[in-house]
Amino acid sequence: MSKRIRYGDFISTVSVQQQRLSYNQLTPQPQYDAQGQEVPYQQTKLKLHPREIGRMVKPYVESRLMEQVKTVLPLVLYLLLFQWLILRQDIMTPWLITAGIAAVLLGLMLFIEGLQRGLMPFGEELGSTLPRKLRLPGVLSVAFLLGIGVTLAEPAIGALKTAGSLVSQAKAPLLYALLNQWSGVLVAIVGVGVGLAAVIATLRFVRGWNMKPLIYLTVTPVLGLSLYMHTDPLLRAVLGLAWDSGAVTTGPVTVPLVLALGVGVAAATSKKNEPSGFGIVTLASIFPILGVLLLGLFVAFVHPDSLQAVSTVSTHYAPEPSTRDQFQEAIVMGLRAIVPLIIFLFIVMKLVLHRDLPNPKVLTYGLIVAVLGMIIFNIGLTFGLSELGGQTGSSIPKVLQNGSVGGYLLILVFAWLLGFGATLAEPALHAMGMTVENLTQGAFKRYGLIYAVSFGVAFGIMLGVMKLLFHLPLIYFILPGYAVALTLTFFAHEEYVNIAWDSAGVTTGPVTVPLVLALGLGLGGEVGALDGFGILALASIGPIISVLSVGLWISWQVRRSHDKHEQEVAMHQEHTQGA
Amino acid sequence: MSREIVVLTDVKLITCIVQRGEADKVVKAAQAAGAQGATIYYARGIGIQDRLGVLGITVNAEKEVVKMIVSSDQADRIFERVYLEAGLDIPGHGFMHMTTLEKAATYVPHDVVEKLSQAAEES
Repeated sequence: MSKRIRYGDFISTVSVQQQRLSYNQLTPQPQYDAQGQEVPYQQTKLKLHPREIGRMVKPYVESRLMEQVKTVLPLVLYLLLFQWLILRQDIMTPWLITAGIAAVLLGLMLFIEGLQRGLMPFGEELGSTLPRKLRLPGVLSVAFLLGIGVTLAEPAIGALKTAGSLVSQAKAPLLYALLNQWSGVLVAIVGVGVGLAAVIATLRFVRGWNMKPLIYLTVTPVLGLSLYMHTDPLLRAVLGLAWDSGAVTTGPVTVPLVLALGVGVAAATSKKNEPSGFGIVTLASIFPILGVLLLGLFVAFVHPDSLQAVSTVSTHYAPEPSTRDQFQEAIVMGLRAIVPLIIFLFIVMKLVLHRDLPNPKVLTYGLIVAVLGMIIFNIGLTFGLSELGGQTGSSIPKVLQNGSVGGYLLILVFAWLLGFGATLAEPALHAMGMTVENLTQGAFKRYGLIYAVSFGVAFGIMLGVMKLLFHLPLIYFILPGYAVALTLTFFAHEEYVNIAWDSAGVTTGPVTVPLVLALGLGLGGEVGALDGFGILALASIGPIISVLSVGLWISWQVRRSHDKHEQEVAMHQEHTQGA
Repeated sequence: MSREIVVLTDVKLITCIVQRGEADKVVKAAQAAGAQGATIYYARGIGIQDRLGVLGITVNAEKEVVKMIVSSDQADRIFERVYLEAGLDIPGHGFMHMTTLEKAATYVPHDVVEKLSQAAEES
């Protein structure tokens, strides 16, 4: 038995004029050639009015630009306000900085777009076809080479090199040597570290290894080596650089590309059904530290002559590079960062896999845009963000002169807020938050992760600034920090361990790293510190501890609610039995 | 007590295909015009990119398909709102169509059914 009633009771008022047009008039009639065979229809290119082109391009550019504006602008505003309101100081070369920041926005926009259109599909295609065409050793060697390639492409790695400019050769000869005549080797070593990390992480995907033992096995030797090197005043100077390079490597190029490869490989080979993709970032943060520490040892013991050799040369070195030189260098760095990576991917695709490029036109567009974006970003970084960060950093110590305790407090609060804001805006973190929420079935909320990580980074950066201000050795912070992190790791669930250690690497992205480094260097230069390193390293420990703590708290709560439930059930049973 | 099915008539289906990420906007506009809800699913579209040449890059091949079941009185109004909101007059921004459905069924509040059937009997 069914009733028939109306779905709604609305009177419609038609506001837009409709014009009826038969679709038959638009579609083509079949064409026949002389033999009476049907000729396949060829689509013609559309001719568009310029206004229509504008209406198409506008939303495309707007949505992508706004994404970057949301990330970068709050930070810039914060720095400006701080400089105006608290330091009461005008910005030097304001127009250059404005142009630089605009270039950073434009560059980031282009680069991310290029990454999504060009590099990522490339990586995914490789990841899914590799295991089908090659055996495991082949896959691992490609992963290794890709790890090296992406490190060179990382925009933040350049920032590390510029960070070396402050280091004086007399105070820290080994650090100076590493950052100058050994800088090529340094970057290569970091790349090898990331490559090895990619290999082990891929193996982990395939074999289903747990993260905990891997963490113990890798972190403990690095800590031990750091402790040993701390005892030697010559070697001690390298610690900051080494721990910072670990944080720097895992940026916007490395993470998605290596992840795309790893997930592709895992999906094709592993027996487990859900490839989580975690762990690769952690390893890619730890291995470079070990590499740089070992390089330091190597230079100190095998090539001690290179420490002296510089001293004669470096005295003649012109201290300030001209604007034009900086400009050229930014362009060259942008090219060098991506072009070799593209060539490598291309060679693997063509010669090893014998595959054609998927969607070559879009891919080419993506790659060109990525290179362009990288160049513009580099230029903007040099003249905009780094400059602004450096200015703020170098004028902060003036606060110290008027008030003693208040000044120090002000600086620490400033550092804390900067870290919190910068991390909150980091796009990679938001993406990770969503993954984590899915992975933990909603137990770990997205904003829970974002706030936990931001808190951790904020405290890390604050501690890093404290280290610079009071000339404390880095090991005093790193050793207890990692001891706490390792202890928490021991008690935490495997999934939270994965999330926590990876979140450390993800947070230090293309905006945070140069800004914090510039700030650290500016500050370090003013207070006469040996180097501005160490802030990033500490910013990486913070989130590990905070996320692990939140994870432990969540599992404790879950357990407590289970216990409570069981108790109630038990009581209920007793009650019914008694009655 | 036997279960009875309330069958709705005068029902139209509006389907709108837009670029990935645009669907929520479309549904909001439709709801403001009286639509009750929508079903969205992901799809991939082919055709317009090739014809646009270089400008094809501004069009995302990943699409969202929005399906809305509306009453025939609302249908034209919602159709227009959605068209304007989704910007379908821009090349590559999507496609929409509307069809008449023979009948539909879902949960209809009991009191609403009672009231309307009483009104029908009285008239």
